Amino acid sequence: MVVLDTSLLWLSVLLPVIISILGVRSEKYETLASIIAALLLFPLVIVAVAAIKGSLSSGIVDPAYTTINGIGTLAFALDGLSALVVAGISVVTAFVAFYSLPYMKTRIEEMRTEGEEPPSLGVYYLLYTLFAVAMVGLVYSTNLILFYLFLELTLIPSFLLIAYYGYGDRKRIAMLYFVWTHLGAVVFLAGALYYGYIAGNFDYLNIDTLSPVGNAASILGNMTTLIAALMTFGLFVKMAVLGVHMWLPYAHAEAPTPISALLSPNLIGLAGYAMARITVPLFPDFYTANQWFFIYLAFATIIYGGLVALKQTDFKRFLAYSSVSQMGYMLLGIATLTSLGITGAMLHYLAHAVGKAVLFMTAGVFITDLHGFRDITRMGGLARKYPMTAALALVGFMHLVGMPPTVGMWSEIFIILGLFRAIDISAQFILITLLLIVALGISASYAFINMRRIFYGKPRSDTAERAKPESVGILQWSMLAIAFFGFLFFLWITPYYDSLLTAASKIVQILQTVMG
Amino acid sequence: MIDPLYIWLTPYLAAGIMAITWVMGIRKESFYSWLSVLSILVSAIIATILTPKVYHGDIIYTVHSWMPDIGVNVGTYMDGLGAFMSLVVAWLSFLIAVYSTKYMEGDWGFQRYFFFFTFFVGSMLLLVLADNLVLLFIGWEGTGLASYALIGHWYTDDEDTWVGDPGRKALGTNMYFEPSHSGVRAILFTKIGDIGMLIGMAGIFALTGTLSIPQISNLTSQSDGWMATLANMKILTAFLVVFSLGALAKSAQFPFQEWLVTAMTGPTPVSALIHAATMVKAGVYFMLRFAPIFAVGAANLGGAVLDAVTSYFWIIALLGGITAFMMATMAIVSRELKLILAFSTASQLGYMFLGVGAAGYLLKGAEAGTSNTLSLVYEGIAASASHLMSHAVFKAALFLIAGWAIHAVHSRFIDDMGNFAKYMKISMISMWLAGLSLAGIPPFSGFWSKEGVLHTAHLAGLENLWLLGVITAGITAFYITRATVRVFHIKPYHRHEEEHHLHEAPLTMLLPYFILALTALVIGLVWPLGFSEKVAELLGHTLAMPSAELPSVEFTGITLEIVGYALLMVLFAIVLYLAFKPDFVGLLQKSTTARILHDFLYDRWYINALIYIFIVGGFAGLVEIMGWINGVIDAFYHVAIPVVLIAGSQAFRGLHRGRTDLYLTFYAYFIGVALLVLYFLWG
Repeated sequence: MVVLDTSLLWLSVLLPVIISILGVRSEKYETLASIIAALLLFPLVIVAVAAIKGSLSSGIVDPAYTTINGIGTLAFALDGLSALVVAGISVVTAFVAFYSLPYMKTRIEEMRTEGEEPPSLGVYYLLYTLFAVAMVGLVYSTNLILFYLFLELTLIPSFLLIAYYGYGDRKRIAMLYFVWTHLGAVVFLAGALYYGYIAGNFDYLNIDTLSPVGNAASILGNMTTLIAALMTFGLFVKMAVLGVHMWLPYAHAEAPTPISALLSPNLIGLAGYAMARITVPLFPDFYTANQWFFIYLAFATIIYGGLVALKQTDFKRFLAYSSVSQMGYMLLGIATLTSLGITGAMLHYLAHAVGKAVLFMTAGVFITDLHGFRDITRMGGLARKYPMTAALALVGFMHLVGMPPTVGMWSEIFIILGLFRAIDISAQFILITLLLIVALGISASYAFINMRRIFYGKPRSDTAERAKPESVGILQWSMLAIAFFGFLFFLWITPYYDSLLTAASKIVQILQTVMG
Repeated sequence: MIDPLYIWLTPYLAAGIMAITWVMGIRKESFYSWLSVLSILVSAIIATILTPKVYHGDIIYTVHSWMPDIGVNVGTYMDGLGAFMSLVVAWLSFLIAVYSTKYMEGDWGFQRYFFFFTFFVGSMLLLVLADNLVLLFIGWEGTGLASYALIGHWYTDDEDTWVGDPGRKALGTNMYFEPSHSGVRAILFTKIGDIGMLIGMAGIFALTGTLSIPQISNLTSQSDGWMATLANMKILTAFLVVFSLGALAKSAQFPFQEWLVTAMTGPTPVSALIHAATMVKAGVYFMLRFAPIFAVGAANLGGAVLDAVTSYFWIIALLGGITAFMMATMAIVSRELKLILAFSTASQLGYMFLGVGAAGYLLKGAEAGTSNTLSLVYEGIAASASHLMSHAVFKAALFLIAGWAIHAVHSRFIDDMGNFAKYMKISMISMWLAGLSLAGIPPFSGFWSKEGVLHTAHLAGLENLWLLGVITAGITAFYITRATVRVFHIKPYHRHEEEHHLHEAPLTMLLPYFILALTALVIGLVWPLGFSEKVAELLGHTLAMPSAELPSVEFTGITLEIVGYALLMVLFAIVLYLAFKPDFVGLLQKSTTARILHDFLYDRWYINALIYIFIVGGFAGLVEIMGWINGVIDAFYHVAIPVVLIAGSQAFRGLHRGRTDLYLTFYAYFIGVALLVLYFLWG
């Protein structure tokens, strides 16, 4: 563990907020967006430098931390498990901040012509920044109280962003989003408070070694299962696992597109991260006992989400269901309870972040350029007019399908490698093979079938027919930048992978004491 | 010495440059085509320079660290098989790239074409030189991506780019395919196989802890190694089949053959390179790479491993035999020139699978540790490899000729072609050279290599599959002669030749296919003069295959009969179309039997229709059911729960109407309840 000299982690969270508060009344939106985007890229720089210096494996801790009796240590840290998650948030939020500029200008203009008075772009950027840094803070956290504070802090700005700038019945949908995910958060909180009350502190990471605090069963006794179940269920709601996924398609489809491009790629996956970081090492008995339930639930989520995605005709709703399906892969990786699988799950966070962000931004290009055009059944042939956007969308889909040269390939490989370490090959080989073929086959199907429906063939409506050729601008450049990182992490994965595997094996060590 | 890494890296770098310049807005055609041609030429030259070293017994192996813990590095493993494959791939790619510069001239997707073309060549070369399964998988998926993009190159789906007769249906399923549809089919069919390959990788990794192919090969023969472990679990055969699913799908073997047929919507040079000469051979390469490893393991371990491995090889041989026969029959009735060649490609790939399968099957009944049998196995594997090479050469030539023929009449149907011999002598000669090679007529290259495969099947005692192969040889001779005669020597069925100003192909297109056709002849001529020994010598420096010979072909007995039979079929086709000029269209109208048979073959044994009805239809049904269930879940959360809560809220509000008497009653009542509770708690 390396304690930094300066409070870089806190700065990377606080600086963007300060700037956006200062700039809330500014009219120089280009400058504001550039500064915020640059500052949001700060966490990525920290991750990259730590990777180059080789300090990710041992982890780094921000010097500004404090220990409070009964609460534990409130600290920010970064290690192998969180590095790629931070990288994913940083890349996406930074470039979506640029992307927001033309998009939200058009959106606010459009709302004004409809006779509404949405808050200014300055307010948008304030809320946007709060949302973005709250996610980073959540990942840096080492303590349940801090974690929960940031979890709530992600919810409020995103709720307001949907309510202010969303589409359709946006007030109702914002409320729906708030109520359901808050419900998840509160259930999680109930478990967390119970845990902290008994344990005497809320730490989940040991600040000195940056390893998990260990099996909580000895402290919690017969309350272990209840607390584990509460916290896991809360995270499942946030993650939109099959059965408690219903809020997601509404929220992600009707949010303003840049916010969809944060909600889907970044926010929901954090629940998967939290599972690997917090609940799995705290409650190894619970996870080993229910391992097969989680594996089947993961497959069910993948297959169900994928099949329902195939039925969607709305571009953004389709992407939302695809996110449900993709979260299944993350859950699958974690449920293998192997270091390879957990590594795969965190890699999948990054792959999904990059891929899904690019895809939501693709949808946003058509919404901006073609006046809210998002009905897939009326698209077709758009690649001819939008070659750059089409190429980027293909790259986005490749991330979801796990095709090289994107980082998606690594997540796919590691999850499957982990899965085969976890199963009993002699008894379950055929079953798991069939499940994987169906699951991955459906993912590939919805990707390439919709790629065709949207971009290839003949235009199926006047709007698609008469679309003007794309003028490559900020929208496309910011997509390209995000996609580029998907390629970069494909090539330059080794330092992250090494430290990730180190962090994951600390979790697996705890699990092994239970599994024997 | 040059690092063999550059063989595959050069085209990748060129493709990367193209991507950057495209994003920068540079659209100059000649920049893209020249960059592509040059980068491939560099690859070909490096491969050629390095091959002699391999030939003399030094395997070239360079490693650059990437993820060493799991045996995944940027390792280029150039052994006999790798050198052999990279030579075939690089030089064919070069010739076809040259052809493409002319063929694609003025195309609206010119830059995209050369980007994916170059990216493909890089991926294919990576695939054949990779030292570990992940790198192999990266190349594998790269070829799949390029294939998808190039099949759907003309994604605006204009009718002249389709495959099949517009409007035709079989069992209610459309039998015509737009480029964008074919692209999706190609990537999904092969993706299913690729998942199998990933699963195989994961299984091997779970048991060995490495993904490096040489390491896996070293671990096969251990008595507690991965093969023995899987055999003890009684799933070795199933495991190997799943591991090979990627190869079966990529090489369009039954039941995955459908994607290759409709892949013909791509530009013809793509069909020549990707869907005839190279990418579809990736599956065969995979088999050639792993068959010796499996065979060595089986031979050393014997017992259950041997049984499982021979069953696996039997399945491979069976699928190959079925594919060879089935696809050849479809080619007899096809009306589209490229489609005939596509059927033929799948059929010939079937021969290669039959060859490898039969080679492995030779182990059956062998005693553990017998090196004698192993050398026969190597011989069969080498025979398959040699057929891969000769097929790559003549089939690429045939496709390139077809590209010119289709271009000349602006139609993909042979009904619109005819009498080309009058206008294009060299193309005609090339067509005959390559066609006779495909027909397996001596002394062309196809004869020797096909003979080797049939010889192996015979030796392995797979009499039925051998017979199927022999019958297929005759069908092959017939369909390719039919196509040649109809395109070059008789009048077109539909149009008049005067409509088009037919003339010989421009030199940039003519030369590549003429060279290839000539190569098919030259290889055949030098084959018995020591060339086959040279090929075998090179292949004999392959991982797990320390020596190889090619089956020697003697003109006696059964071989003579097969040759005679193939010649007879060639003559039969010539005489039939030139002299008798039968009215097949009329026959189909008159005879129901003929029509049923014709439709069965023309609609590809109805396999496509059945796949659409059962598998695609099944999933479409599941999509509907899941959509309905999703509606129910939605209603539960967003109708049922709110309704209950609203009803509860209204009921509760009903109590608060401002009536003091009611409030007082409640007050007294709850005071009572509270007192009772306190009483019982403390009492």
